[in-house]
Amino acid sequence: MNYTKQIQDIAAKLFAEGKIDVFVGYRMNGFDENQVPVLITDPQDVSKLVFTDKSVFNLVNYLKTDHTRRKRVGIVVKGCDSRSLNLMLTESQVKRENLYVVGICCEGVVDDAGEKMQNCTDCMVPDAVVSDEMLGTAVSGSGTLTYKKNADIVALAEKPLTERAAYFEEVFENCIRCNACRHSCPLCYCAKCCIDQETATLYNGANTTSAAFHALMTWSLHLAGRCVDCRNCEKACPSHLPLHLLHKQNESVIYENFQEHLAGVIPEDRGAFYKYSLKDPDDFIM
Amino acid sequence: MEAEVKDQLVSIEKPELIAPPNWEPVIMGILCNWCSYAGSDLTGTSRIQYPPNIRIIRVPCSSRVDPWFLIKSLQTTADGVLVSGCHPGDCHYISGNYFARRRFLVTKKLLNFVGFHENRIQFSWVSAAEGPKFAKVVNKVTEDIKKLGPLHLYKKENFEKK
Repeated sequence: MNYTKQIQDIAAKLFAEGKIDVFVGYRMNGFDENQVPVLITDPQDVSKLVFTDKSVFNLVNYLKTDHTRRKRVGIVVKGCDSRSLNLMLTESQVKRENLYVVGICCEGVVDDAGEKMQNCTDCMVPDAVVSDEMLGTAVSGSGTLTYKKNADIVALAEKPLTERAAYFEEVFENCIRCNACRHSCPLCYCAKCCIDQETATLYNGANTTSAAFHALMTWSLHLAGRCVDCRNCEKACPSHLPLHLLHKQNESVIYENFQEHLAGVIPEDRGAFYKYSLKDPDDFIM
Repeated sequence: MEAEVKDQLVSIEKPELIAPPNWEPVIMGILCNWCSYAGSDLTGTSRIQYPPNIRIIRVPCSSRVDPWFLIKSLQTTADGVLVSGCHPGDCHYISGNYFARRRFLVTKKLLNFVGFHENRIQFSWVSAAEGPKFAKVVNKVTEDIKKLGPLHLYKKENFEKK
């Protein structure tokens, strides 16, 4: 998967036609094989753009910064990124007419070790669902992809309650409350987060296991039904916490119980908690 | 830190070891204004006894309940939580409890996933006419939580510097 040439051509063409002010893409980080996001405003810098299977980050996150807000933006999206873009469009965070979206038919990206990332092996939507222009040939045949429950979730759910409690206590203990997960998430766009509200800060000022439990649980439940499993939070986490466990747990419950709901796949679909069905499970309620 | 991990593991497996004598659980009861709160009122006016362990908070609708309420109460003083609202179809705001039902399921499963016993987070539908049912529900929840013992998992005071 290498679309470097095509993306450079598209960006150069868009700048020449005056259709965009900023182009959001990837460039080499300059010291190893990995890539970092780049915001290009000068047409001469277009040659910096690359796209290979090392392009791991979700660029939609950069649509919530001041560099791109209220500007005409060109952006590269993979399948998972396009789902989060879909949600941002539905939630009126960006305007579609300001965007030029280059969609990728994604064959999966690789981590530092060179292995295909876990969310890519389980991916349900490899092709971009929002785009002005598609690159590559469609990966998903119609209806050939089936939902696989995350292997980590299955393994943890089989363990007894006490072991799970001990495992998660260690996870929350290692959190340093830097909020990188929140800043790296495209769907965490609130100007003032509820976790940072005055009462919550006073109440949870210290960085303790208990405070991390409160913050991460609230965060994951606010993203339940909206998380698209791009794993930007996990890539950003300096403590390497397995944050996907919380999100995938919510996702699997929602997929199994609420009419196979997947966030951001259908345009104008606001997420699982914005709708209901009369057939929703009721057996856990007295 | 090791002592605390041991503590909470003991609390799940052998409650009798660390439950102090005459220990009574604290249960957070979040009730919807239109059905369950009126139902609990009827229980009282009908002179039906129910355990005093429940601390009741009134909310406008069960869909007002943010999962944050449950997380915060389990983290501070509560040993268990009971959320109660109108029966499906009876919501004063037409569809509030349908939305709430989805959130409750996901919240309960997630809290269970990170180590809380499923009986610590309970939900019920109680209408304004169901005084006896409310007493039955509170009795059951209190019994369940007495069996589990005091909650130590992620409790705020366990992690504060002394």
